[in-house]
Amino acid sequence: MSQIQRIMIDHTKCNGCKSCSLACMQAHRQDSGSLYDLDLTDGTNESRNSIQTDANGVYFPLFCRHCDDPQCVSACMSGAMTKNPENKLVQYDGKQCAACFMCVMNCPFGIIKPDNPTKTYVIKCDFCAKDKNGPNCVRACPNKAIYIEEVV
Amino acid sequence: MTEYNGCVTCKSADKVLEKFIAQLPMETSHQRVESQKLKCGFGLQGVCCRLCANGPCRITPNSPRGVCGATSDVMVVRNFLRAVAAGSGCYIHVVENVARHLKNTAQAKGPLKGLQTLDRLCEMIGIAGADSYEKAIKVADAVLADLYKPDFEKMQLVQKLAYAPRYQTWQKLGILPGGAKSEVFKGVVKTSTNLSSDPVDMLVDCLRLGISTGLYGLLLTNLLNDVLLGEPKIRMAPVGLRVIDPEYINIMITGHQHVLFAHLQEQLVQPEIVKLANAAGAKGFRLVGCTCVGQELQLRGVHYTGLFEGHAGNNYASEAILATGAIDVVLSEFNCTLPGIEPICDTLNIKQICIDNVAKKANAEMKQFSFEEKARISTEIINETIEAYKTRRPKTTLNLLKEHGNDNTLTGVSEVTLKEFLGGNWSPLIDLIVSGQIKGVAAVVGCSNLTAGGYDVLTVELTKELIAKDIIVLTAGCSSGGIENCGLMTPQAAELAGPKLKAICQKLGIPPVLNFGPCLAIGRLETVAVELAKALNIDLPQLPLVLSAPQWLEEQALADGAFGLALGLPLHLGLPPFITGSKVAVKVLTEDMKQLTGGQVIINADAKESANILEQIIMDKRKALKI
Repeated sequence: MSQIQRIMIDHTKCNGCKSCSLACMQAHRQDSGSLYDLDLTDGTNESRNSIQTDANGVYFPLFCRHCDDPQCVSACMSGAMTKNPENKLVQYDGKQCAACFMCVMNCPFGIIKPDNPTKTYVIKCDFCAKDKNGPNCVRACPNKAIYIEEVV
Repeated sequence: MTEYNGCVTCKSADKVLEKFIAQLPMETSHQRVESQKLKCGFGLQGVCCRLCANGPCRITPNSPRGVCGATSDVMVVRNFLRAVAAGSGCYIHVVENVARHLKNTAQAKGPLKGLQTLDRLCEMIGIAGADSYEKAIKVADAVLADLYKPDFEKMQLVQKLAYAPRYQTWQKLGILPGGAKSEVFKGVVKTSTNLSSDPVDMLVDCLRLGISTGLYGLLLTNLLNDVLLGEPKIRMAPVGLRVIDPEYINIMITGHQHVLFAHLQEQLVQPEIVKLANAAGAKGFRLVGCTCVGQELQLRGVHYTGLFEGHAGNNYASEAILATGAIDVVLSEFNCTLPGIEPICDTLNIKQICIDNVAKKANAEMKQFSFEEKARISTEIINETIEAYKTRRPKTTLNLLKEHGNDNTLTGVSEVTLKEFLGGNWSPLIDLIVSGQIKGVAAVVGCSNLTAGGYDVLTVELTKELIAKDIIVLTAGCSSGGIENCGLMTPQAAELAGPKLKAICQKLGIPPVLNFGPCLAIGRLETVAVELAKALNIDLPQLPLVLSAPQWLEEQALADGAFGLALGLPLHLGLPPFITGSKVAVKVLTEDMKQLTGGQVIINADAKESANILEQIIMDKRKALKI
């Protein structure tokens, strides 16, 4: 079994319910609690994924690809963005970040973004590293529009 | 979740039923919990708005307002008031039908079986009459006149039905209700697209609907029902799927309107009708209780021996009851008649008949009840029932569950029978509370659901925790159905109570959980609370009494809850009623309400924690009363 996992996307199954975004917020909230009391107006708790629509209203859920050749890592001058040699995930260390946002400008998918309230760090998928059950967004998707695939 | 032979069902407090359901060849609600387990966070918090074509709008940090500008507070409270109004409408429909039935019966000089209740009602609302019929007509007219008033005219009976200190509070807060039907109408109008955007104003409306629901939909429905159908009497009764006897033609009843079965009940025990059943090969007819109307019959069961088999289970037991194969007809008139029974009825060739079109089931033959045509309708139902029995039984394999439930559940408890049991006044109970032998009273009411820990899990666990703390539990609603099937209403359950409550129960031969029956009986609990408060010369919020609807399910429960808050009582809920997306709603309901009515909402899904919170509230109230 490969240790390398990726979130795969079947956008045709997405119905725009944003359960993935709420799951991401719930997984990364600073306080504790359930989905019932997650503060949906708290601008400091931002989802690392989002759902966009094309001109025809077709949903495109966007998730960090943890790219094989990550442009965000190449562009990062402070060493905040690194590629984990074992699980091949792109990791972000906020303590090292100089907030130059070169990663934001270089992400080919436009997924990495500065945090909204302070613009002093970036919002970046951590593959729910602290959760042994893996990415919460995937488990929250009612349509299996996103799923985990083992990559060789 | 529990798995038997690869079949995943939700957890259940009722282990015997859990195993039975998991092994059924057909799907029930208990299986569908798994496939519906992913919940939408916006829906859970009540911040999804579908009131206009710009929607659905949802609240996120990047989109804190709907297209129209509605905030999370507006979305949540609008949805909530709509739900409370709908729930109130359900109960008002019930009391309207009961009042009309009483009037029709009295005009036709039909049977009035609860004359003591009639006199009590007349005294309460100041009505005199030459005979029982005249009194009944006047009572029914007074109720109906109030129900049909416009919202700008206050209902006349509120002051007569309400406890005086409460009435004064309501008057001061400006929440005395206008005509009950019009209040529902106003709730619907207010919450339509781009009308009210004032969350606090809409929460005040919820309280007003709570009062009309509680005093008319609950309190009066019970009293009018008792006049028509007979008063409850305390007795031991069998409960659970064991009550189903396949040697009879079995009719499962679901709904909330006992009066709609009154004529049929009389007919089913007539010797010539029983002979028809005999000719078809059965011993006779039996009514199998399910949902709240089953609780109604159980409560008054002393009047229907030989016809009412017993209460088999609550709403989420209905699919299992049908799966026994021994039910021939489902006769329904209201909720909680689950759509999920339809495929089971199809599979087992069970006939569905519906007698109130507000609850028309897709499979059911509609036979709208009408007082004038009740004889024809009852005859048709009887004939079709016999036909269903004859055609389906030869091709049906029975799957009975005789080990389910118990034979000695205490039932027939009401505001009147409990007082009689105590010797005609409340002092024995008050003395026990004052001396601390009973710490306080918890009313565990409301519905049954499958999500607060599983089927009746929180209800049963919380009840066990409360009685272990020497808090006596009174129940009303589908919670009763779950608790009774788990054995907590048998005298033997005294073993589970704390040492003081256990000693009292053993001395009196009663269980630590007293079953008042259907959700409508929340009105009876209110009377008990008022009479205790009167005896102590205090207002309701001062009583060491708490309310819990641990597994509330429906909009009706939210209207009941609004009544509880208007009464100034602490109200515990296992799951939040889709309000947590609004900081205003949460603050008003859980905090500010204490200053308004004295009530408060407590939300907690953990049985132990909830019991501790409720115990603390009871202890604080005891302390304030210096007892």
